[in-house]
Amino acid sequence: MSPLPVAAKGTLPAAPRRPAALQLAIRGRVVRLRGLRRAPRGPLWWLLVLGPGLIAANAGNDAGGIATYASVGAKYGYDLLWMLLLITLSLAVVQEMAARLGAATGRGLLDLIRERYGIRWALFAIGVVLLANGGVTISEFIGIRSALELFGVSPWLSVPLAAAGLWWLVVRGRYGRVEHVFLAMTLVFFAYPIAAVLAHPDWGQVARHLLIPSVQLDPDYLMLFVATVGTTITPYMQLFQQSATVEKGVARRYYRAERLDAYVGAGFSNLIAAFIIVASAATLHVAGNTEVESAAEAAQALAPLAGPYAQALFGIGLLGASLLAAAVLPLATAYSVCEAFGFRKGVNLDFRRAPVFLGLFTTLLVIGALVALLPGVPVFALLIAIQVLNGILLPVILVFMLRLINDPRLMGELANGRAYNLLAWATTLLLSALVAVLLASLLLQALGLAGPGAPS
Amino acid sequence: MERFTRLVGRAVCDAAGRRACLLDLAVDLHSGDHPPVSHLWLRRADGVTGLLPWPRDTTMAGGAFHVPALALAAEPEPVLFDRLVLLGRDVLDALVLDLAGLRAVRANDLWLRPDEGVYRLVGIDISAWAVLRRLLPGLVPAAEGGEGLDWRAVEFLRGDPAAVARRPYRGVVARLPAPQLADLAAALPYPHAAELLALLPAALAARVLERMPPERQTQVVTALVLEQAVALLAAMAPELAADVLGQLAAPDALRLLQRLPPERARQVQDLLQYPPDSAGGVMTNVLVLAPVDSTVAAVIEYIRPQLPGPDFVYYVYLVDDPEQRRLRGVITLRDLLVAPAATPVARVMTPEPFAVRPDWPALRVAEQLLEHDLNAVPVVTADGRLVGIVTVDAALGLLAPAAWRDRVPRVFS
Repeated sequence: MSPLPVAAKGTLPAAPRRPAALQLAIRGRVVRLRGLRRAPRGPLWWLLVLGPGLIAANAGNDAGGIATYASVGAKYGYDLLWMLLLITLSLAVVQEMAARLGAATGRGLLDLIRERYGIRWALFAIGVVLLANGGVTISEFIGIRSALELFGVSPWLSVPLAAAGLWWLVVRGRYGRVEHVFLAMTLVFFAYPIAAVLAHPDWGQVARHLLIPSVQLDPDYLMLFVATVGTTITPYMQLFQQSATVEKGVARRYYRAERLDAYVGAGFSNLIAAFIIVASAATLHVAGNTEVESAAEAAQALAPLAGPYAQALFGIGLLGASLLAAAVLPLATAYSVCEAFGFRKGVNLDFRRAPVFLGLFTTLLVIGALVALLPGVPVFALLIAIQVLNGILLPVILVFMLRLINDPRLMGELANGRAYNLLAWATTLLLSALVAVLLASLLLQALGLAGPGAPS
Repeated sequence: MERFTRLVGRAVCDAAGRRACLLDLAVDLHSGDHPPVSHLWLRRADGVTGLLPWPRDTTMAGGAFHVPALALAAEPEPVLFDRLVLLGRDVLDALVLDLAGLRAVRANDLWLRPDEGVYRLVGIDISAWAVLRRLLPGLVPAAEGGEGLDWRAVEFLRGDPAAVARRPYRGVVARLPAPQLADLAAALPYPHAAELLALLPAALAARVLERMPPERQTQVVTALVLEQAVALLAAMAPELAADVLGQLAAPDALRLLQRLPPERARQVQDLLQYPPDSAGGVMTNVLVLAPVDSTVAAVIEYIRPQLPGPDFVYYVYLVDDPEQRRLRGVITLRDLLVAPAATPVARVMTPEPFAVRPDWPALRVAEQLLEHDLNAVPVVTADGRLVGIVTVDAALGLLAPAAWRDRVPRVFS
């Protein structure tokens, strides 16, 4: 044994051998390098990849999302199922780009926007994100409250406990553990497929409407279409996806395996959305009960039609979905604000090292929980206001994402390919058009020029 | 002093009456502590954009710059990153290192000072006032001074480790101690953290890398240029280099391994034979050895040249033959130094010390180490060959709660 001098660069072997296998010859004997990482194998290897993508996409199936899907099913039956295929494709493309931006740059979206496009755009986005996500957080706590009210739990117990539990999880946990808990929470979404089966739908009809588009030019139909797209693809999902990919610590060199996470997330969350539509179409729509305003209302309406189990399953799904989103939204907001202003951020840090990040997270949780406890919060008006805010932000975010992801200096070999750009720009244009429709109709309603359902 | 954001957008006129709009300023960051503006990035009234070297007799009058001639060669936006940076595009709003405050801050505005007909970049404004002033020009009183940071105390990172190989940096960061650098690097995006490591001497960079969490290490090592990564791994203790390589995809790990200096590569390869959760996977194989059949004085002489290498030197392991490495006993450095010089070392050593096998579970070995009140436990193969030691801080790293692990100091390994 002799001490080792630190080697100078010049002593490196000039022509290294080709790496062949996980075996190397050392001084004539062949050694198996069992300490090296091997690609995971076995039928469930892909489970290891799941993370921010599945969480972000499923946070989109929150209280507002379930309400929208349930009212789609109640009002139009299976008619709107076909568009979920389109939405899945768009969501997959958008979420994957967010993950790729995060992995390639190690930075959140607001960080990149601030640095590339200046402080004004960053502040605009931050302002909208704070308002919209604050509003959604309130609606999630209302979701938690009404889900547990279905089981007879007092809101004075359920809301503070949920807020405290989520706070404890994020403030005291490390990113890896928080991610595992979030992933476990997505399991509650399996309540919806079961509820759908209990509702005894006509599966032939389901398949037909899934594959064959049916377009109606009825304004209500269009509005519900826009609302569904808006609740499925929302800015906080992209923000969370990118920031969480950064915190997870994905290296750009090993990014390719991570795409699966975003794709599986988009597919799974829309599959669940389809089951919610099927469950409510097979019961509420068939029974002529076509107006649903909230997820809890849908669950209650389900009980006489599909039995108490269906109601309980809807309730459990709503609870899990609201809990997940009630944590993801304040997190996405705190990430974004800290990225824009350069504060330290991360679930792994403590209050001493990241006071702004955790302080903001705490404030949003507390406000969300407190407002949800107030009697008579105008949930419907709140959801409309959120939709408007998110609708304004979404095209801005998508255009910035597309410009950033096509910047060779930033992305190198991970920049968008041509087919991907085509899909992404088509999505952006379509979403912007839908948002314009939504805003125009809301403006008309506000001016009293046209009521919902009036011919436009 | 002038704020950069107040200069952008001003008109630039020449003697012939041609006008252009100032889009950005280019600075050679390596020309001094307060580098001068070297070029104007302009858009002329006819739509041509181009780079104009800063004319020496530029004057400022009526809110506009007056230059002798607006001779622009039409060119696309330059990719100047290596030598020149554009203040607006690259530096303004970027995350930069505040070397005095040991933190990463955003450059909310830049301070420029006129100096003999040229502007020099003298500092950055990191206050919230600077943001407000940019949003609401004219409404925020100019007297509201910002938190200024002298440019001398700023290191601007490009987010590209390869840039380090092409151009020298200020490199003041290299004076900071490793724990503070690690804290600073943790606040940066990983390409910037990798660039920071590339700026440091290999030994210091290695100690910063050792303090990073595993995912961060993987990100940083894969972001570095191959030569940089190799130099960094070569400067790490072999067991830590093995940990880093163990997290990479196998082809990348092998590529790096084969470029390491031969002796270090052999040590790392020896460690990589063992799965990460075994005693062999957490041990170090740089330790102090001496032949058992000599006197205390001879052992002291024998180990003296070995001592600079290992991090853990407190136990001297006595073997019957330094090639065969059959473990016979152990003695602490203190006992060795206080024992009479002429005594045979076999008389004062602890014979047949407690040892573990390389394939035992790491967790069990860590517990045994603490139960036996040892600072390190030797790892011996079934045929009696001493292959390494598991030190007490490797054991602590395994037994401590997850939240503590990144705070466990690495003293011996």
